[in-house]
Amino acid sequence: MYREQQITLGLFYCQNVPESREENRQALEEEFGKSLRLFPIPCSGRLEPVHLLKALERFADAAFIITCPVGACRYFEGNHRAKKRVERTRKILSDIGMEPERVGIAIGSKEAPKTLAQQAREIFREISLLGPSPVFGQE
Amino acid sequence: MITAEQKPIDEIREMIGPFKRILVLGCASCVAECAAGGEKETAMLGSALRMAAKMEKKEVVIEEKTLDRQCVNEFIVLLDDTIDQYDAVLSLGCGAGVQAVADMFPETPVIPALNTEFLGETKAQGLWMENCLGCGDCMLYYFGGVCPLARCSKQLFNGPCGGSVDGRCEINPEMDCAWQLIIDRLSRFNALDRLEDIYPPKDWSRKQGSGPRKIVREDQQR
Repeated sequence: MYREQQITLGLFYCQNVPESREENRQALEEEFGKSLRLFPIPCSGRLEPVHLLKALERFADAAFIITCPVGACRYFEGNHRAKKRVERTRKILSDIGMEPERVGIAIGSKEAPKTLAQQAREIFREISLLGPSPVFGQE
Repeated sequence: MITAEQKPIDEIREMIGPFKRILVLGCASCVAECAAGGEKETAMLGSALRMAAKMEKKEVVIEEKTLDRQCVNEFIVLLDDTIDQYDAVLSLGCGAGVQAVADMFPETPVIPALNTEFLGETKAQGLWMENCLGCGDCMLYYFGGVCPLARCSKQLFNGPCGGSVDGRCEINPEMDCAWQLIIDRLSRFNALDRLEDIYPPKDWSRKQGSGPRKIVREDQQR
């Protein structure tokens, strides 16, 4: 169903997110096809604005990061940093006239943890309202 | 270290507007340390400008490169083979870097992408403070390693002014009082007697009194 919408999501995720092992990633890619490009990273603190920007420039209609819950980062502040970097990227997108909502962050919940697949589906629902990126729409 | 901040993207886009082939040129020295013009920031700016151009259906080529140092000719010459491919350089170097590249390639417009700010210290992650004015006549010895010109809001050579509260500056309470720091440090070294002297007004001719300064070191020259 997502393939028909022709929206591509670049999804970065912390490898400590529940059910984010290699087999989970492969299963998701099989389900979503080319609409989903997954990028496992050892901690969301590794994410830089340039990663999100390059994804948007090259292939993605939206680029998101999934992090561990607040206070549960294995490296203490990775998710905190990721949040700030997403905010910075959003500012850059605003400056160039693109919807800042094309980048985002999904912060896990300690009380109700969600798997990688569950969060990916939620993000897809969120971005499907945005439509294709203007970067590719003009080609 | 020389600190800088990126100019607003609108201003950058206006300046590069007339050009079709642009080299976004980073510098991996000072401006990389202050997260303004290093390889990462150069990639971000290049990416943002390409996307902006695509959204406006503009046919432009924007490529990136980062030199180890933009203010040293030995590094700038590395552009010799490729500079002809571009009709402008958007430099993320400091003001010295921009001008050094422009000197080396007089036929190519070199556009600044940064506002160069000050000689700074990396105080903490994401925090840079101006600690030196580059006056050309360092007096840090007399003031316990704290420069009253750079760090006292009133630039007092014969302080303190008496207005600080709890070690904070009365002009800007977010700042430490430089004279409190000076007295604390000199006390630690039993050197408060250095403040017995009256220091005359600064001789600014050592800074820019006779135009741009230069340093000549014959032992370093060919």
